[in-house]
Amino acid sequence: MASAAAAAASAEWEAAERKVLVARKPCFGLPTACPTSLPVLLYLRLAEVPFDIHVDTSFPDADHIPYVEFGDCVAFNNERGGVIEYLKEEKIVDLNSKHPSVSPADVVSTKAMVSTWLMDALQYELWVVTDGSIAHDIYFSDLPWPIGKILHWKKARDVKQLLGITKLNAAEKEEEIYQKARAAYGALSLILGDQIFLFDNSPTDADALFLGHALFVLNALPDASVLRGTLQIYENLVNFVEHHKVRLLGDSSSPGLGSSTSPSSSTPRKRASAGQSYKPKPRAKKERTEEEKKFRQRSKYFLAAQLVAVLVFLSLMGVDSSELDDDDGIDYED
Amino acid sequence: MAAAADPAADQNPNPKGAKPHEPNAEAEFAEEEYDEDGEEEEYEEEEEEELDGPAAAAAERERVQSVFQRLSSDPVAIRVHDVVIEGNTKTRDEVIEAEVADLLRAAPTVQDLLHAASVATSRLHRLEVFDAVKITLDAGPPELPGTTNVVIEVVEAANPLTGSAGVYSKPEARSWSLEGSLKLKNPFGYGDIWDASGAYGWDQTTEVGVGVYLPRFKSIPTPLMARASLSSQDWLKFSSYKEQLLGLSFGLLSTMKHDLSYNLTWRTLTDPSRASSMAIRRQLGHNLLSALKYTYKIDQRDSLLRPTKGYAFQSTSQIGGLWDNKGLRFFRQEFDVRGAVPLGFYNAALNVGVGAGVILPLGRGFMNSSSTVPDRFFLGGQSSPVCSVSGLSSLLGFRKRGVGPTEARRLDPNESGSGSAAPPGRDYLGGDLAVSAFADLSFDLPLKLFRDAGIHGHAFLTAGNLAKLSEGEYKNFSVSQFQRTFRSSAGVGIILPTKLFRVEVNYCYILKQAEHDSGKTGIQFSFSSPM
Repeated sequence: MASAAAAAASAEWEAAERKVLVARKPCFGLPTACPTSLPVLLYLRLAEVPFDIHVDTSFPDADHIPYVEFGDCVAFNNERGGVIEYLKEEKIVDLNSKHPSVSPADVVSTKAMVSTWLMDALQYELWVVTDGSIAHDIYFSDLPWPIGKILHWKKARDVKQLLGITKLNAAEKEEEIYQKARAAYGALSLILGDQIFLFDNSPTDADALFLGHALFVLNALPDASVLRGTLQIYENLVNFVEHHKVRLLGDSSSPGLGSSTSPSSSTPRKRASAGQSYKPKPRAKKERTEEEKKFRQRSKYFLAAQLVAVLVFLSLMGVDSSELDDDDGIDYED
Repeated sequence: MAAAADPAADQNPNPKGAKPHEPNAEAEFAEEEYDEDGEEEEYEEEEEEELDGPAAAAAERERVQSVFQRLSSDPVAIRVHDVVIEGNTKTRDEVIEAEVADLLRAAPTVQDLLHAASVATSRLHRLEVFDAVKITLDAGPPELPGTTNVVIEVVEAANPLTGSAGVYSKPEARSWSLEGSLKLKNPFGYGDIWDASGAYGWDQTTEVGVGVYLPRFKSIPTPLMARASLSSQDWLKFSSYKEQLLGLSFGLLSTMKHDLSYNLTWRTLTDPSRASSMAIRRQLGHNLLSALKYTYKIDQRDSLLRPTKGYAFQSTSQIGGLWDNKGLRFFRQEFDVRGAVPLGFYNAALNVGVGAGVILPLGRGFMNSSSTVPDRFFLGGQSSPVCSVSGLSSLLGFRKRGVGPTEARRLDPNESGSGSAAPPGRDYLGGDLAVSAFADLSFDLPLKLFRDAGIHGHAFLTAGNLAKLSEGEYKNFSVSQFQRTFRSSAGVGIILPTKLFRVEVNYCYILKQAEHDSGKTGIQFSFSSPM
């Protein structure tokens, strides 16, 4: 029964002329900037499935997005564990089965870690910590502002409820969230080692999940983000992300591996919102950051020294100038 | 006495006749009722002064009779000196004056003034904030003969809070609904009526709202209305979506013929069943509708329930997109013409009507953009096209929303694989262009029993068609194709008007339908609410 049903779904997939992934809009140099949609997109790219992207701009709080349409059938995000799980169960696209040497227990536990600890940390930073401009750019920029504002407020409140954050335990919770994220990154770094993929040099859905998370953290979150800083400590993870970003995403609209067909916004929103800059940084970014920090420190000292000098000068001159002023005044009066 | 008769009788200034005004000696022309057919005024004269004797009484009677004679023969000129308002504790004077003062002051003769007074009484009653209204004409100041003071006495509503429940028919919901409401009358003294209401409709529509009605706001002569409401409509069975609306609507102009309103609504379309077709799936989400709607209506038919003579015309225009380019932008226009012609026999009448509507998206690239599903036109349903003026949507014999372009719903491969033969069903998407027409012949039934109860029969013929024009489909549109694909149905039936609603039992025969329409030949019941 189940195999017959799976065969039916797989037959529909094969018969479908085109597959369409409906996801949220591109931003920050990523083909879709939503952290829930990105793993699905990456999974399809890892599996080398040709598909089109349709951008949804009017339903930011939908549970069912992202979804994949094939023929008259649809795989929703809020059914059967998500799009990736559905595709695996129905044997339509199953990356893990192609490499039987991979231990399923390891994959499952890694996935659980990414989709709980790391996802919580990302949601926390996106909805609670940052000033809201990132979320606005991704989810609400195409909606009229009163609707956008209300939905944003609702989502922030829901995230706080989900993470159990109240006014009293905010600091504690934050510490807990970051601690788990650090532990997760540490574990992932050990698992990855110097391999190309997390498990035995062959792609799995865990790779798609982690890549989706990490791409978002490194490209969308601001420089001052704690999560981003934590991730950047692990060089092998950062290299892993950069390597696959170039391979899978290319220019973020490489034909043949998925092209975006958004009806309303024809220009991919790569530009960042006013007031903050999120340029995708090159590989030598980490070293530069340390140099930058030193430079900033030095420049701060320099400026402080200048300020002190000016103040001293003024105070000294003030004593002299008052005498001079009197003389000047007398001169003028004459 | 003399002072009382003077304002009416004397046309020339008469210094001798101007006696000092005594509160006791008042003649009152009081109007008891305002009758629709004409003016039936009862004149009452009360005398409070002590009479000297029967001679004085006889003289008084003669005098009164001569006043009546004069009033009935010639117009008697008069000028309103002052309008005095009494009895209002909460209501502001300006409100009452604004309603009636101009009307009263403009009357040049006593007869006109009496007529104006009865009109003014009915206007004040229509404000719905007074329990009783009485207008009396008092003698003017003694130094100004030929003048009168009009005294308006009002009794404000003793109980400002009233509740009501009933079955009403709402033009927007296109069906009837059970509604309960609470009204608070005149809390601020401006004649304002605040109401809170909840409604549950036959088509699973629910709505709660609060509103305020102001008869007059500063210098704007027509009443203003504002309403905030939260409603939800369930179209899962027909089009696989549910609609939630949170909106503000403002009635800016409301007269017999014209109606202008502005609507700001946050509309959310969801699909909890996850079974919708692609066209509907693409439309799910949030929208802001900021639209101005203008309705022009003439209804000269002799009856709403069973028109036998007259005509009616209604035009509704709606333009959306006044917020910014992120809101919904479209232009929607509907026309509706009806006529009723009496035939000689059996109290029969022929009603005919034609309706047409079109919706166009606006904005850049409008030729290829799509219109929103809830704003499109839908045909189908059992409501009678005869009763209401906006009957563009009804097509007897077809299920509600059962006509027009459709799309296959989502296919679940598991279900289809396990052998169940039922196809997933189709979503009715509605059309951008709609035309419908009907002809209805109503006649009395031969039995006297039925005639007395108002039960009558009718035979009808209805036709309609929908077409999609948006998303570039207008290029494929051809008038001949549109004509050829007209759906139609015919039938006979019996109409039973009851107190709450109008019941129709019809036998419909589908003459022509398209492949996916849900029309059914057979006996059908339909309910419409007498508005």
